[in-house]
Amino acid sequence: MRKVLVIQEDLIILKILERLVTVNHFDCKAIRSLDALTIEDQQSDFEFIITDILFEGIAPLEFVAQVQEIIPHKNLLVVTNMGQDKIKKEIFALKDITGFYAVPIDLDEIEATIQAYS
Amino acid sequence: MTEAGVLLFIQCVLAILVIYWISIAITMVYRKNRMRALERIEHTFADIVSRYLYNNEDDPLLISEINDRLKAVGIRKGNRNNVQYLIRLMIRTQRTILGENYYKLKKLYAQIPPYNASFTKISKWGWYSRARGIREIYEMNQSQYMNEVFKFQNNKNVFVRREAQIAMVVFMGWESLRFLPYLKRNITLWQQIKIVEKLYDLYPKPEMKWLKRAYKTDKLFGKKLLMRIIRKFELHTEIPFIMEHLEHPDYEVRETAIYCIQTFALSTERMDYIKDVYERVANPVQQAQLLNYIYENSDIDVDFYLRQLHGDNDELKLNVAEILWNNGHKEKVQEFYYQQYPENSNLNVE
Amino acid sequence: MLNNIEKFFSGEYVFLATNYFFFFYGIALMTMYFAGVILASRAISRNKKKSRFLQVNDIVSATDIPSVSLIAPAYNEGLTIIENVKSLLSIQYPYYELILVNDGSKDDSLEKLIKEFKLERRDATFITQPIPTATVKYVYKSTLSKYTHLTVLDKNNGGRADALNAGINFATSELVVCTDADCIIEQDALLKMVRPYLEEYHSEIIACGGGIGIANDSVVKNGVMKELRLPNNLVPMVQVVEYIRAFLLGRMAWSEINGLMLVSGAFGMYPRKRVIEVSGFDAKTVGEDLELCIRLRRLMEEKELPYKVVYLPETLCWTEGPPDYDILIKQRDRWARGLWETLKIHRKLFFNPKYRYMGFLYYPYWLFFEFGAPIVEFLGIICIIAFAFFGMINWTMAVLLFTAAYIVGCIFSTAAIFMYVKNFNHYNKPKQVIELLLAAYLEPFLYHPILVYGQMKGYYKKIFRIKSGWGTMTRKGFKVSDT
Repeated sequence: MRKVLVIQEDLIILKILERLVTVNHFDCKAIRSLDALTIEDQQSDFEFIITDILFEGIAPLEFVAQVQEIIPHKNLLVVTNMGQDKIKKEIFALKDITGFYAVPIDLDEIEATIQAYS
Repeated sequence: MTEAGVLLFIQCVLAILVIYWISIAITMVYRKNRMRALERIEHTFADIVSRYLYNNEDDPLLISEINDRLKAVGIRKGNRNNVQYLIRLMIRTQRTILGENYYKLKKLYAQIPPYNASFTKISKWGWYSRARGIREIYEMNQSQYMNEVFKFQNNKNVFVRREAQIAMVVFMGWESLRFLPYLKRNITLWQQIKIVEKLYDLYPKPEMKWLKRAYKTDKLFGKKLLMRIIRKFELHTEIPFIMEHLEHPDYEVRETAIYCIQTFALSTERMDYIKDVYERVANPVQQAQLLNYIYENSDIDVDFYLRQLHGDNDELKLNVAEILWNNGHKEKVQEFYYQQYPENSNLNVE
Repeated sequence: MLNNIEKFFSGEYVFLATNYFFFFYGIALMTMYFAGVILASRAISRNKKKSRFLQVNDIVSATDIPSVSLIAPAYNEGLTIIENVKSLLSIQYPYYELILVNDGSKDDSLEKLIKEFKLERRDATFITQPIPTATVKYVYKSTLSKYTHLTVLDKNNGGRADALNAGINFATSELVVCTDADCIIEQDALLKMVRPYLEEYHSEIIACGGGIGIANDSVVKNGVMKELRLPNNLVPMVQVVEYIRAFLLGRMAWSEINGLMLVSGAFGMYPRKRVIEVSGFDAKTVGEDLELCIRLRRLMEEKELPYKVVYLPETLCWTEGPPDYDILIKQRDRWARGLWETLKIHRKLFFNPKYRYMGFLYYPYWLFFEFGAPIVEFLGIICIIAFAFFGMINWTMAVLLFTAAYIVGCIFSTAAIFMYVKNFNHYNKPKQVIELLLAAYLEPFLYHPILVYGQMKGYYKKIFRIKSGWGTMTRKGFKVSDT
């Protein structure tokens, strides 16, 4: 089964995204911070990573760069509260970002993206 | 002052000290239990919402089950603190989601507790309850209470009227611009930001009729609000409204106009107008902002920059010199600075 | 000679006048502390309510909020500079820029920064200097996209105030936050600090401060406070209580009546245009934070514009306090000199009707109670010794009065700890709270006399014009967690 990693500090968004991914027939690993990532996870190749950018102790851009570097994946979707155009441009400047969704989000759009890429 | 008097005083203050110790102990115990309870409610609610939005047809989540689970974690009419926490979670979730799921949530909220808690709050006397009630009503889109909420739009308490005015935007959309720019009392920057964002999230299609009508306002906050709307919605046809205000006598209106114009790229004609404005604006900080905008959004106009090099403000001149220096006109900058020294002076340059 | 002294001290009027002076001074001080407790609880409760309507999550997603530059001067901090910068970069704010000012460090700070963040040198010829500072040699920007928010200014040494001014010159944001490179700032601190600027509608916020906490021996991971522990030693432990009391009771109470004259240099936010208008920090005084705040207030009073200086009750910035008596004395000596210099610079304010409350209430308070308290205490000790020597003290009454004053002092500290425990979740273990209370109760015996000594030392240096700068403040550094 293809795998998706969801990283969101907000428990409610985390659960909703986990559910969205699961009903779309993916195996989902949902965590609230990178600390919860196991060595096994770091070795599995995720079809999607859906992540926030606001986490303790790491700058948003650096976080995305770190995720890109340490977790093998095919697509990276950013879902965040800090969704200003300026941030969006900076995130896309990091390259290889599949999508950027600013809160409030239309979950159907994320679902469509997952279905389109998978 | 006698010794007995001082002794009595000592006893009194000791008693106060003991009361404080007891209060600290109670607070700590209460906090520990409360945190655990809140965590339970959050987990339960997150699970309910996720399952409700993406229901499993084989094992559907029923409203009765939802209500039972909420009850089990302490969401009962008598427990106001828990109910209030649930409302906070509901608002947080509603604000996160758009599209079809937004309406699904609205439907869910109509069927679970706390049924009328928000409406009850607006009939209370204190500003805090009222303002909180109004906020909950518009954040959870309970449009049935619209008229009750609108009554507070000119309330003397800043929080109550602010929330009521935002509610007006949530429920009426662009039509609310009929009133907003004409309100009697000033509105804060935050309120302007929130109004623009609510319009953008909930009414993404601009209704120019209302916007244009609002242009007549003479309220400074109204002008600032309208410019922010034009900026957020990138209404290119309305750029002249912003340009008109670049020379407004009020510093903050000018500042908002400069901030908003920076979103747009302008035609050469309009950029020439901005250059004229640059020379007329009396404030060097705002001139520097305009200069930066002109530089980033138009081709190098050597005559314009050379003219500015002879201006009065040294910092602006330095900015202009940097632009010329970095854009292939080093010799002009050198020429300008050398000519400031008398011909026979001994310069320390080789 | 002894006869003359005896005559002086045993004179009925002198004895009575001395007694009454100390009594009324003490009563005035306690009344003010009591008013402080009431005002502070009101301010904290109001602040809590207000924050419900403008939450951090609302601000983090908003457009049109003011841009903020955080300016952090660094001098010879090569040992921790990389962790410190990463910590400051991780602060959450959408329109944020970090300006690190290398103030002529003699160690390898700059080399380390260049290597870690792949910094590229840029020309500094055209940097505008609305506030004159020591020469800025180069500007460095990272070539990596993930560090676009970082700017390093490399300048000649000019001291902390000068380095802050250089950062303010370079910033292009609406608001500037001045801090130290080795402070640990809460992730959402800027989102909270900007709140008053968004909410105020009839006054201009000219300065905003947040609570500062002492975090010696705490555990830090990735530049974030991972585990807040109480210091192991008594000196920093008492400072925890002292800071809680000063920020939660003192600053919040003054903020409630718009009487704040000081926003701490360790963490303060100002509108850039106003700071430039008053020509930035004064590099000649060692109390540059207090001096700037008073100058900003004066500017607004002179222009007759409505303004506010506000404080937030939350602890938003953690720092390391002096770990022993020696360093504590140096620190308080410097603070005392800074206070002396600032009050002297602004002596024009004293009972000057042009400056309204600032002239009639706030400045005199600082003069009589902040500046005057150590002098009064020192004189008090001399008087006790003298009166005791001549057998003029009723010891039973004296002990009772001392006990009463001591318990009242304990009540204020306990009230501050109670308010902190009630409103914030930093010290949540019973053992921690008991230790804090014990430290508070030992403070008058083991800590306060040293404080008075440090302050008097500072005044002594000013009276006899003994030259002294910032002094060295050796820091142990926080415990770093690897797990």
